[in-house]
Amino acid sequence: MKSIREILDRILATRATDPDDARRRRLLNILMLGMFTSGFVGALVIIVDAVTLKGLGGAGSQLLLPTAVIIMIGTAVLYYINRYSGRWAAFLFLLLLTVAFSFSDTPDQLANGRSLFVYTFPIAISSLILFPIASFIFAAISSAIIAGLATSVQVVPNLPAIIGFFMLALVSWLSARGLEQALKDLRVINTNLDQLVSERTKALSESLTREMIEAGRSEAILNSIADGVIVFDTNWKSTLANPAIVNLLEIPFSGIVERGIDDLLKPERISAKDRGMLLAMLERPGQIGESFKMEWGKKTLSVNAAQVYDSAGAQIGTVAVFRDFTREAEVERMKSTFVAVVSHELRTPLNAIMGYAEMLKESVYGPINEKQSGATDRVMANTQHLLDLVSELLDQAQIEAGKLKIRVAPFAPAELIDAVHGVMDKIAADKNLAFTSEIDPDLPEQMNGDSYRLRQILINLVNNAVKFTGKGGIHIRFFRRDAAHWGISVRDTGDGIPKDEIPHIFETFRQVDGTTTRQYGGIGLGLSIVKQLVGLMQGEIAVESELGSGSTFTILFPLNNANK
Amino acid sequence: MENNLALIIEDDVDLSNIFAEALRAAGFETEIIRDGAVAQQRLKEVAPYIVILDMHLPHVDGSVLLSQIRTDPPLQKVKVVIVTADAIMGDMYREQAELTFVKPVTFTQLRDFTERMRLQK
Repeated sequence: MKSIREILDRILATRATDPDDARRRRLLNILMLGMFTSGFVGALVIIVDAVTLKGLGGAGSQLLLPTAVIIMIGTAVLYYINRYSGRWAAFLFLLLLTVAFSFSDTPDQLANGRSLFVYTFPIAISSLILFPIASFIFAAISSAIIAGLATSVQVVPNLPAIIGFFMLALVSWLSARGLEQALKDLRVINTNLDQLVSERTKALSESLTREMIEAGRSEAILNSIADGVIVFDTNWKSTLANPAIVNLLEIPFSGIVERGIDDLLKPERISAKDRGMLLAMLERPGQIGESFKMEWGKKTLSVNAAQVYDSAGAQIGTVAVFRDFTREAEVERMKSTFVAVVSHELRTPLNAIMGYAEMLKESVYGPINEKQSGATDRVMANTQHLLDLVSELLDQAQIEAGKLKIRVAPFAPAELIDAVHGVMDKIAADKNLAFTSEIDPDLPEQMNGDSYRLRQILINLVNNAVKFTGKGGIHIRFFRRDAAHWGISVRDTGDGIPKDEIPHIFETFRQVDGTTTRQYGGIGLGLSIVKQLVGLMQGEIAVESELGSGSTFTILFPLNNANK
Repeated sequence: MENNLALIIEDDVDLSNIFAEALRAAGFETEIIRDGAVAQQRLKEVAPYIVILDMHLPHVDGSVLLSQIRTDPPLQKVKVVIVTADAIMGDMYREQAELTFVKPVTFTQLRDFTERMRLQK
């Protein structure tokens, strides 16, 4: 069945691109196929009839066989023409049909009798297979023929038939035109629909392409940065990593991605301490600090972490960025070591100079006159200045190297204050400044803390206060803030600190302005060291100050500071 | 007879002189030793009232001398003042000494402190 249909379709197919032309040609092909088939069947019947029944006899039957053959040849020729021009084929077909009809019966029957109707066929069909208005052409041709035939047999032309022909042409024209219009509309609708679909498809494919380019770009960026990146999901499984991390961690890619964090931080790769610190940092980025440095094999890696949120604000994971810090760490170590060695080597001779000057001043080697005493004072002051600088550098180097340890032990605040007085009383008295202290009674007599570092902090703060106070005095107070905190305040009646400088006074190498360095000595490390020491003791330091009326430094410590 | 001996164990010539002067000014008899091994030997012979101990010494380290003083019964009552340029070292042995000075140590500091110790006995 299917193959017959396919063959038929192939026979009926046309090469026209215009849909109207194609439809007409196809319709013509169908008609001609019908004609050819009927011609073929007719010829067959005539031959069979002639062979079996010895013929019907008569002139009519003698004409039938050539007619059938002519029809077959004619349709075949027209079919061929139809392949090149549908218009010509249709026109010739209809013309031949009309002419053939004109010989199919006697002239009077054709003009006025039973065969008159045959002319309706080309009229009706022409509007379909030629063009709508063509029905009028064939109405006219047919009218001319029957009029001619009527004249030839000397009868009056059949006027109602001619009117009928034109009426039929009108109806054919209208209906064919309506059909064509409907088909055209349908085509337009189809075209619009096609256009819409293709536009949508294009837009979709463009947005997909854009997305792919976007994703590709992000991936390219991730792949090209030198820092190693790992993204963990909320279950601490790594979901994403870049090529740099492979070199940094010295683990193959397959060992990094789609692995749990415990799998990644195997004990042979990272120390328990660093592991704990790293996990704490990843869980609460920003709590330990901006970055954290850890040892990984022979490398020092700096790690930064941030939590990743989706557009709705829910945490979907954590991104960790690793950077090779080995060289920087080495330089830092060398710097610290250098500073420590230099400071150490400087201290001993400075200490000797100081000692001899003091002995001269204290008349250990016999009495000295006033000028000599003044000179030894200058020697001592300058030596002290140098020693302070060296001490600051050394402390800073030790803090930076992480070598400075806090040792918590019981201590008595009263003893601590005595020790500070022991060092600072004379220095304050030399400037005619009052140096007083008090301990609030609700503070315990014995407390836990690093008394040595506390003393260092206090001496630093008081020494600073003395430097910047011209008259008045310095007052230390130990107090209890609340159930969980105790504090120390150091108040002076000095110059005060400008408001815009307050945020910077604890920075390394900083003094309120450059000139004060020469005037007051020190290189601006003192307060920075104090802040770092306070930080190491889990405390906080703050300053309140008013220009002209003095500054108050307040340090707060947790009261239960027994943690080692 | 009252024990009034101060042993100054410090390898730097100048500093050992200054420390000795300070302790003399504080009322002690002083003896300077500039070598760890010599000090180790000397501590087997005498039990001074006070030892001024530097931690960095030739041949035998200050920490060895410190543990000798803290474990040797005859030296039980010896008061130790550590003098070191290394704050970390000072931190480490702070509890085993009467006082730890991180250099610079001034003449008056040492004199006044040791004098107070001498008067307290």
